[in-house]
Amino acid sequence: MTGGASIVAERLSKTYRVKVREPGLAGAFRALFRPRYREVHAVEDVSFRIEPGEVVGFLGPNGAGKTTTIKILTGLLYPTGGRAEVAGFDPWRGGAPFKRRIALVLGNKQQLIWDLPPEETLLLNRAIYGLSDAEYRRNREELVDSLGIAGVLDKPVRQLSQGERMRCELAAALLHRPELLFLDEPTLGLDLGAQEAIRAFVREYNRRHGATVLLTSHYMADVTALAPRVLIINRGRLLYDGGLTELADRIAPVKRLELVLEREVDRADLERFGAVTVLEDHKATIEVPRRDVARASARLLAALPVADLSITDPPIEEVIARAFAGEATKGVDAAERAGDVGDAGGARGAGVPEGAPSPTAAAPPRKEAE
Amino acid sequence: MERWVGRPAGDAGADRRQSGDGAPTPTPAPARPARPEGAGWPARLRRALGVLRAFWAANLAEELEYRANFLASLFATIFWLGMAVLTAAVFFRQTEELGGWGFWEVVALLGVFNAIGGIVDAVLRPNIGRIVDLVRRGTLDLILSKPVDAQFHVSFRRLVVWRLADVAFGLALSVFALTRIDRAPGVDAVVAFLLTLAAAFAIVYALWLGLMSFAFWFVDVENLGILFDALYEAGRFPVSAYPAPIRFVLVYLVPIAWITTVPAATLTGRGGWATSLAAAFVAVAALVLSRLLWRAALRRYTSAGG
Repeated sequence: MTGGASIVAERLSKTYRVKVREPGLAGAFRALFRPRYREVHAVEDVSFRIEPGEVVGFLGPNGAGKTTTIKILTGLLYPTGGRAEVAGFDPWRGGAPFKRRIALVLGNKQQLIWDLPPEETLLLNRAIYGLSDAEYRRNREELVDSLGIAGVLDKPVRQLSQGERMRCELAAALLHRPELLFLDEPTLGLDLGAQEAIRAFVREYNRRHGATVLLTSHYMADVTALAPRVLIINRGRLLYDGGLTELADRIAPVKRLELVLEREVDRADLERFGAVTVLEDHKATIEVPRRDVARASARLLAALPVADLSITDPPIEEVIARAFAGEATKGVDAAERAGDVGDAGGARGAGVPEGAPSPTAAAPPRKEAE
Repeated sequence: MERWVGRPAGDAGADRRQSGDGAPTPTPAPARPARPEGAGWPARLRRALGVLRAFWAANLAEELEYRANFLASLFATIFWLGMAVLTAAVFFRQTEELGGWGFWEVVALLGVFNAIGGIVDAVLRPNIGRIVDLVRRGTLDLILSKPVDAQFHVSFRRLVVWRLADVAFGLALSVFALTRIDRAPGVDAVVAFLLTLAAAFAIVYALWLGLMSFAFWFVDVENLGILFDALYEAGRFPVSAYPAPIRFVLVYLVPIAWITTVPAATLTGRGGWATSLAAAFVAVAALVLSRLLWRAALRRYTSAGG
């Protein structure tokens, strides 16, 4: 049923029972004797399928269900419903053989021993994963080399910069050369240079070992740089599974015309060409439908005193924000668009199937976002 | 290329019908934590020992970073032992015996009390005692993602090596007390003592694991270690010194009696083989129970029901 896929999630659900705590002392007492519970659906009916060697970005706001999904896929949480298969294992039952094939990196948690040099954690993991001398030397050398951490391995972890620490975390997590990487916010709190170093490393590791990578991040740059495909999740539900570029086409099929004007013009004059998003002094930004870009810019140049004009895509952050905003207000619309929901990702790569969302059906989210 | 997903609530049945390959979603059987695989016991034991060596090698290095602890720890031990013996001496100015035990027998018991306390401080408190912390900080997630039994990892990752001085000093005090009562134990008594001492370690471990497993249900339990300390204080005197109801509790409910009284009694020739075997039995039962409790706790943590 897996068909050689690396990760299969089939209608995964995870419901937590949370104690409802009423405010005040009286509430506290009531909760003590007759606790009330509320069900929280952290993940609802999530299906997707990731092929070996794919790098997939997992996006969603805080509390959307990303980490819960990753915990289910790594066998740390038992799903309330549905089925997961990772590297041919049921993550929950896979035990040690399964765990030797995966790596879990949590950006806000560390496994490095705080008071010791990272080298000691590497030695510890060598014993934990039962690596032979040869394997250890080979893997260690490769990681030290590609992460550029030769100079910091013998310094106590507490003295390392955050970027150095994260690179060492990755070395410790990947020492056993896993074929599946679950990276939850690996660049959290890092400066730009450090983020870029991590990205370059993940790209290189994926290329060299054909490893499958599922990556969550707050930084859109991580995702745009690494993952051609994204999964978007919000409130426990999978909203989108597909390419980044197609996502922009769907949600915000617009281009931005960024203008520098020779003199100030009225907003009304600009609005004839498209939606004005910025207008200050001599600068303006207008959004126009993608297919009208050429015509609109030609008309603009003819009608207004344009000193400079550039055409850009809206930043992916905004596109995603629109996706969430649209989902929040028009949940039912989103449901109606769900043509191929049960297909566990089988339609991926096969183009838009018959009866699945047509371009017109995809229009609503854009409209509601505006 | 892309796919929009999402569905109205309550439409799950319809979705199932149009599911990709038409197969109904299989319902997984109730979960059981996977057993670690391995080529039989010897291989697993060897691997476990390898991991243990790596744990403690790392830890020794860690402790050496704080060498000053060693001296402080040493002074604390000597001071504590001195105070304990003095307190007992004050008692014995008023009485000839405590629950049927003479002064030097009580001192031998204090030695055992101190030795076990040393194990608690060296191994249990820094490991199992930090479970709450591991849960809170999420480090447990990383531990669970490793191909090593989580209980083993959580129990033995650390070793506060200096506290082992308590074990050495405690046992030395017991031996010294023995010389004063002129009751040199035979080889069989020494074997029986070692057996009951091992059982005592196992029982203390099980108590800690059991107590700390409750952290998974009541995460806001701040310091269960203090609860243990309070209970353990009762082990400072032979159980025979307590009134019958408390004795019952210490023997059968909270097995503190097996931790200090029984090894000390065996050492001073008061316990027979039956007692030693009973201690071994209690130890095995406690280990099994605590393991079950730990598994239930993990099932709760991972929400696998139970």
